[in-house]
Amino acid sequence: MKLFRAAFGAAMLVVCMDQAALATTQNVIFNGTITATCTLVVATNGTMTVSPDLQSLSSHNSGGSAGTVTLTTTGGVSLSVDPVTITTVPAADTTAITWTPTYSASGAHTIAETGSATSLTAPGADLVTVHLAGTKGGSNRFASGSYQATVTVRCE
Amino acid sequence: MTFSGTLATALAVGLIPVAAAAQSMSPMRGEVNSFTDVFAVRVFPANPYDQKIKIEVHVYDQDFQPVEAKISPSVFQLASQASRPVLVVVPFDGAPDRKVRICTESIPFPNQQTQIKAQICGKFFGHRKS
Repeated sequence: MKLFRAAFGAAMLVVCMDQAALATTQNVIFNGTITATCTLVVATNGTMTVSPDLQSLSSHNSGGSAGTVTLTTTGGVSLSVDPVTITTVPAADTTAITWTPTYSASGAHTIAETGSATSLTAPGADLVTVHLAGTKGGSNRFASGSYQATVTVRCE
Repeated sequence: MTFSGTLATALAVGLIPVAAAAQSMSPMRGEVNSFTDVFAVRVFPANPYDQKIKIEVHVYDQDFQPVEAKISPSVFQLASQASRPVLVVVPFDGAPDRKVRICTESIPFPNQQTQIKAQICGKFFGHRKS
């Protein structure tokens, strides 16, 4: 009887060793949706200097510097600058100034200097360079004192 | 209907916003259906700078003329890398549809000679259902 039990046990072990373990698999689905996105980060403001004939106050002039903005987008947005509406001029300056904001971009998009809106269709990051020029016509000249202007850079 | 009731209805019917960090404003597009005379949008301005900044939220029409909308809050300080919800309730003003721009504006470095104001605008379309 003992021999029979041992033989039966051994036979069962051999049978069980031949059985594969049962396993199941399930897929886990991940979804993600990104809508049109734009981030503007102002890196530096600009500086305007006056021209020798005192009729131009511009970031393009010698000693002036452009403002810079980092733009990151998914694409499907447009970039533009607004006409300048917020300015501070010294009391001694009583004549009209024509302000012209412009921008250019390099990086994922290459935009030559312009004042018009530009569609950004592709995703990526850009360095946007912003210039501002104030000009006076006729015999008018810029006066001594502090000038300040705000350029609005819009991504929409 | 009370303002809160109107607001709740508009929100229930309207846009489902998706918040995301490290963006200047999200969402930037949206379409809202409302059974009331207003529609509501919740946007999430974010501060990508390493410093606290002052943010203003404004609503404009297609021609960038200001729209009389309820913005809560319209001006606030936002900590570095932070984001917060802003609720904007826009009246239809009798029209069946209304397109508006909701803009997040900030001047991160004020009091300099040439300041740059960063403006992120989202376009939103409200439909009035009867």
